[in-house]
Amino acid sequence: MGEVGAAASGAGAEPARQRRFSINALLDGFFFVYAGIAAVWLAWLVFTESFTFGWWGIAFFVVFWLVLAYLVLPRLHRILTAIYVPDYFIGRARTSDGLLGDPVNLAFDGGEAQVHAAMRAGAWTRADDISLASSWRIVTSTVTRRSYDEAPVSPLFLFGRQQDFAYQQEVEGNPARRHHVRFWRTPDDWLLPGGRRVDWLAAGTFDRAVGFSLFTLQVTHKIDADIDVERDHIASTVLGANPTARLDVLRDFSTGYHSRNGGGDTIRTDGDLPVLDVSAVPIGTIETDGASVTDAASVTDAASKTDAASKTDAAELAP
Amino acid sequence: MTPEKRPAFESPAVLAEPVTPPAAMRRPTATTFGALLVVLRVIAGIVWLIALALQWDDVLQEGEVAVDLPPSEAGSVDALLLLIVVVGAIVLVIELALAVAVYFGSNAARLTVMIFATLSITISAIDYFGEDAEITLRTTLVTLALDILVLLALSSRAARAYARRPRPRHPRCR
Repeated sequence: MGEVGAAASGAGAEPARQRRFSINALLDGFFFVYAGIAAVWLAWLVFTESFTFGWWGIAFFVVFWLVLAYLVLPRLHRILTAIYVPDYFIGRARTSDGLLGDPVNLAFDGGEAQVHAAMRAGAWTRADDISLASSWRIVTSTVTRRSYDEAPVSPLFLFGRQQDFAYQQEVEGNPARRHHVRFWRTPDDWLLPGGRRVDWLAAGTFDRAVGFSLFTLQVTHKIDADIDVERDHIASTVLGANPTARLDVLRDFSTGYHSRNGGGDTIRTDGDLPVLDVSAVPIGTIETDGASVTDAASVTDAASKTDAASKTDAAELAP
Repeated sequence: MTPEKRPAFESPAVLAEPVTPPAAMRRPTATTFGALLVVLRVIAGIVWLIALALQWDDVLQEGEVAVDLPPSEAGSVDALLLLIVVVGAIVLVIELALAVAVYFGSNAARLTVMIFATLSITISAIDYFGEDAEITLRTTLVTLALDILVLLALSSRAARAYARRPRPRHPRCR
């Protein structure tokens, strides 16, 4: 299934000549691993240096942590998870370091415009894409404790692709706590384990605080362990606001083997997968603000020819 | 279609697989950061050259540069300093040009920078582990750290994808 995803996501690009290996690619692989090993050495050097600098050693410890958390461990995880984490659908998204991330606990049927319409009707806010400006705004809003209800979410990967978009609800104007859900379009003709076809897969969790990731030591959001509460919250808000939406639950889609997400937080779930059919949701309710030019384009496309529109959308959204 | 049995682990060859980035990829932070680090490396080189010129007499007396000439031939010793400074300056100018090329997404420049960073790191490592040379802030930790950070940034997947993104044949908008 992973091959299907890779083929589908690569279909948007030009059919460039494809060899499985090239000298350049091998060289890249070598540099990737060598840089990881060198980074471990750098962390060690900074660590031992910190003892020789007296009070300045504290600053060196901070540098050591930065090097370890943001350079060394991500690169090592990237190398090791490429080998030991299976590269096909196992009901889990993966972090950019390749670690197992949030579990996939929702599915949607319908075009992209309908999903946007249904989520907005359910009082959800679309998350900004990560950029320098939005990252800076996160820092300032966290320090000043001001609300930033379109704060971007971290990238998680499914089918080898970053999420297509994400929605969130801020809680009490506190940037540390929020509901959020990421969406991935499934590859064409892709079926869930068990044979059901869905158009979108989604992973919803509740950020309850800011803390340190267990695996990379990075500063990250800690999620609430009871992910079923968040899943049911998303489903009920969408169903409550969209009378035309239909719910179908795949009972025991996944079992209790889900134990930790990419930040090392525990996860509990009953394993049910709600499938929300939003294909009948009217799309006229979308307001076209400046940030959603692509939405407006896909609305007109979808209105004319839903299938064709969803395919072009997939090609545009593939990173 | 008979399904093949999957191995219990993924092939490490995925680390060396070619990437297929979209043509309209924006410049990732890793590329910008990598180019910036190369510029910092150039600045560190300029500082090193100036320091060498200022402390030239001390360097000669400590015998850190193997000079076969007797100290009386001061003229050729000064010529040696001039040679080092000129060669160093040429290398730094080339490095600066590589930094600019990396910033604009040249893959050849990226690979060249990474090859030289790898060589530099390896030489430092042989010195450090082999001959008990101390690596401290005062001597080479800064340049070594810059080399390693350059290698990390430019070998990352985002930087690789950006340097390998498909481009139109005409180098009109490179």
